[in-house]
Amino acid sequence: MKVLKTTFAALAGLAALTAAHAQSGGTIKLANVAELSGPGATVGTNWKNGIDLAVAEINEKGGILGRKLEVTHADSQSNPGIARAQVQKALDGEPYVLLGPGYSGSVKVTASLAQQAEVPQIMGGEAAELTKAGHTHLFRTSFGQQSSMPKVAAYLADDLKAKSVAVVWVNNDFGKGGRDVITAELQKRNVKVAADISTEAGQADFAADVAKVKASGADAAFIYLNEEESARILKEIKRQNLTLPLIGETTLVGQKVIDLAGEAANGARGHVGLTTDAPVPAIQQFREKFQKRYNYVPDHNGLKGYLAVYVVKAVTEKMGKVDRKAFADTLHGLTISAAQEPGILMDVTYDKNGDIDRQGFLVEVENGRQVVKKVLPKLGN
Amino acid sequence: MTRSLAAWLAGIAGAAALVLLPLALNRYGIYILSLWAVMTIAAIGLNLTLGYAGQISLAQGAFVGIGAYAVAILTTSGFPFVVGLAAALAVSFAVGWLLGYPALRVQHHYLAFVTLAFSTLAYLVFRNEEWLTKGIYGIVGVPRPSVLGIATAKPLPFYYLCLGALAVVSFAVWWLVRSPWGRAFVALRENPVRALSLGVDTRRYTLMAFAIGSALGGVAGAFYAPLVEFVDPTPFTLALSLNLLMMVIVGGAGFFLGPFLGALIAVLLPEWLRFMEGWYLIAYAVFVMVLLVISPTGILGILDRHLTARRTRAASQARAAAKPVLNSEAA
Repeated sequence: MKVLKTTFAALAGLAALTAAHAQSGGTIKLANVAELSGPGATVGTNWKNGIDLAVAEINEKGGILGRKLEVTHADSQSNPGIARAQVQKALDGEPYVLLGPGYSGSVKVTASLAQQAEVPQIMGGEAAELTKAGHTHLFRTSFGQQSSMPKVAAYLADDLKAKSVAVVWVNNDFGKGGRDVITAELQKRNVKVAADISTEAGQADFAADVAKVKASGADAAFIYLNEEESARILKEIKRQNLTLPLIGETTLVGQKVIDLAGEAANGARGHVGLTTDAPVPAIQQFREKFQKRYNYVPDHNGLKGYLAVYVVKAVTEKMGKVDRKAFADTLHGLTISAAQEPGILMDVTYDKNGDIDRQGFLVEVENGRQVVKKVLPKLGN
Repeated sequence: MTRSLAAWLAGIAGAAALVLLPLALNRYGIYILSLWAVMTIAAIGLNLTLGYAGQISLAQGAFVGIGAYAVAILTTSGFPFVVGLAAALAVSFAVGWLLGYPALRVQHHYLAFVTLAFSTLAYLVFRNEEWLTKGIYGIVGVPRPSVLGIATAKPLPFYYLCLGALAVVSFAVWWLVRSPWGRAFVALRENPVRALSLGVDTRRYTLMAFAIGSALGGVAGAFYAPLVEFVDPTPFTLALSLNLLMMVIVGGAGFFLGPFLGALIAVLLPEWLRFMEGWYLIAYAVFVMVLLVISPTGILGILDRHLTARRTRAASQARAAAKPVLNSEAA
């Protein structure tokens, strides 16, 4: 009996020791909650793969401050209720940083949980309002719509001299958010919205929508759909012989759209915050590494996941310690340069709301390739 | 006597476990248990419509949505939770009653299609009527209520609130299915023509089955909104209706405890299987399919078959024992 007791005591001591070790000098725990199934599966899977790639790279080089990274992945099923459960589970495990989710609704549900737990959250959502709710621990990985849409509106009004624009958008939080911001921005510049066309996620037939664009007599069309639907509408536009300029965002001119739409994608233009086709050597290298590991070309969500992990690295190395409480304060107002931290790919500055400022691109699809027409510098420069 | 005593003991043990278990759980575990309680309420409603009254509905998810929006809209505009709950109950009861009318004319899979159309319609209303529902952006910050002066903002008190609601609903439905109404529902399912000939007003009971079942969907929604503290249209698509239908069928349609078990499997099993990472939903789907192949009547169907077989055996043995034997045979 006494032997048993001693064994138990020894085991308990060992367990306590391991726990203490994990907290001080062990691995750094990151928790990712993303849309790995459901309608957001493409977004979440790219994001997850980007994270895994960055973690593997960092660990190969010895980790952050000599400590290896350890990342857990949880599936939100693209459902805010499940996302909340998974984020709660992740926070119960006391991670250093929470990564994700990507869907704006899921971000809204979880941001306050992360805030209460004082865990920094680096997410993929792009809806304008996310960073306006006063969450001090929430950070983006890409432009919010409030920073990308003014650039698109300016291009439509100043470069194209469009007087009226047809706006085609997908009716989910992503599309609706973009539509609301661009409509306001166009109105500011006295550009008329000639047609306001809402479409469904996963919609297959765009004949009626394209006919509406045609009937509106607009000078240009702004198309803001998911990648698959973008390809479908581009094909339909070609079929109906519409020749007006087609302007969009990352989701209109991405590689996936070009692959799916083929020739119909030629001529499409867009503002792109993060693109794997950017003429930046570091991004080209990232793309090659990603393609080698996963056998496909990532979209911008792959880049976002990758960058999220490198933001963690840059901030932690800047602090010189793994300090969850000081993380958010350090990142607010921080500029991370690609020269110091090559993994960040392009210089990036975080403001006090967790929004970012980074170089952007205006691209056009020519002969099945994304060609950068104009580099839009960082606003702060 | 002993059987009912065993059932009571099992019931008390189950209730005690539900009260005590969360004390040992972290916030995530409590959240999942609360979700289970909420989904069970919705599934109990569907079990009433489908399992007892035999009216197939693919719109239960839409009623959860109606309830959730009723509470979200009212509580975020300053009304107390009770008002929201009453509105959720009333609106989903009324809409459920109206949805019952097609059920008077069409049956089985045709009825499924009608309710499916309603489910899609409800989603479009949630998404497009921005003045009311804030559209795709959803309603943020649905508050958790105070009950008798006790704040339920923390996970544990809110779980007990959900559990309390489940207890009230369970008791009400337990009473209902044993009342003449419950008998009328079953008569409706088994043989509507015969029920009519026996003087059961099938028209009224069909509408009632829909309305009460839907109202319970609304009640579930009323607790779902403050549980997640956010409401947007995406959780209330057809997928939720199908999920609730699965809970009822997997648990055992027409069994009182069916929805409890069904929701247990639909809510908890995917969570337990998460260690399989990318495979967890596949494993879950395979489990459900295998289960339904083995027992098309759900988990309680297995138990029911087993118990029936045992009773039959016992009865046969009793008959055999009671058979008069000749003295010579006995020797």
